[in-house]
Amino acid sequence: MDLKKEKITIVIAGLIIGVIAAALVFFGNPVNMGFCIACFLRDTAGALGLHRAGAVQYIRPEIIGLVLGSFAMALAKKEFSARGGSAPLTRFVLGFFVMIGCLMFLGCPFRMILRLAGGDLNALLGLAGFVAGILVGVVFLNRGYSLGRTFKQPVLEGAAFPAVQVAMLVLLVAAPAFIFFSEAGAGPGALHAPILISLIAGLVVGALAQRTRLCMVGGIRDMALFRESKLLLGFVAIFASALVCNLILSAVTGQAYFTLGFEGQPVAHTDGLWNFLGMLLAGFGCVLLGGCPLRQLVLAGEGNSDSAVAVLGLIAGAAFAHNFGLASSGTGTTFAGRVAVIIGIAVVAVIACVNTFRKNA
Amino acid sequence: MSYIATFYSHFGAIRFKKLCQQEGIPVKVMPVPRALSSSCGTCAEYGGSDPCPGGEYPAEVEQVVEVTGEGYRPVYRAEGS
Repeated sequence: MDLKKEKITIVIAGLIIGVIAAALVFFGNPVNMGFCIACFLRDTAGALGLHRAGAVQYIRPEIIGLVLGSFAMALAKKEFSARGGSAPLTRFVLGFFVMIGCLMFLGCPFRMILRLAGGDLNALLGLAGFVAGILVGVVFLNRGYSLGRTFKQPVLEGAAFPAVQVAMLVLLVAAPAFIFFSEAGAGPGALHAPILISLIAGLVVGALAQRTRLCMVGGIRDMALFRESKLLLGFVAIFASALVCNLILSAVTGQAYFTLGFEGQPVAHTDGLWNFLGMLLAGFGCVLLGGCPLRQLVLAGEGNSDSAVAVLGLIAGAAFAHNFGLASSGTGTTFAGRVAVIIGIAVVAVIACVNTFRKNA
Repeated sequence: MSYIATFYSHFGAIRFKKLCQQEGIPVKVMPVPRALSSSCGTCAEYGGSDPCPGGEYPAEVEQVVEVTGEGYRPVYRAEGS
């Protein structure tokens, strides 16, 4: 596949994903949250009782679908490969703090795009911080940053994470008493599309993301490193199609799928500085991980156990964020959350320095 | 001849680029083509008659392929990758 074909493919995939994201909101997901890897991992952590924030507890089928969609596509294309061993604990820590940044902003990079497509201008500050964080990370990449090479691993090591997703699907459908589900009206966790629709949406997006290597971080990183726009085009296509769908849905249903402005946005706050810094932390951490949270899920589906560990870090971060009052809400940020973001930026900077300059010494 | 080398890190590609330039071999770094890998890292496309400039593949090299009219022909893959 030459570069032109790759660009056409990723634009088509992005357009489809934007439509799916908007459709998920129509079918019941929170507004501007057709997809949000951070929010959905947070909801899943809550459903498992890793935190007890009653407003955000639900095993999100989209996450299950993303991993299994990637897994199925990788198997079909003979690209499934169990590999790992590249600084897994460091990746766990990076994943942890990426989640802290995302929950300061209230969304992962994917939701940031969907928030923009819903007219939420607070996400512009998030986008600025995200770009800034990626550019800081790129400086380290160019100076020698590396977490070390990966190694081939036994198949079971790569298949374990997809297998866990099957178990999660069983728990979702069986809904045993020890799983927590937000009660109706309790908050975003109670808003969701029907299981089958969410699962199929996740499967399709996971498969498309595996084929196209769609990555919210990679798009900006490749523009900075190579002036190469391919991955960024996927980003732009998602924004464009979700925006058009939101405008159509608003016109047809009379409901607010698109509301331009800063105030009163769904599952968002208006603290610009912390929207910026939260996504700076997320962008910086994701560059060091080699991809955004969506990409980590897709890579985990392909058999990359390092990415699976990064996802576990994201889940742990979500649990901490809600157990210790670090996560923002529609009413604003918290003091503890602001401290956690500053600590996160410092920790990620130390990880970047240690894994850059140590090698050159 | 044209070859593409993929790496375990972006900086590995930067170092390989410098190596090629020291040897007078035309080289450019770019994102890894999708047809070559599902990884989204950095690769180096370089010319010359020898796929192994410098006599030994650096430790950061994951694989090397020769670019042919029909696609890619494997030349080298690091042990355990």
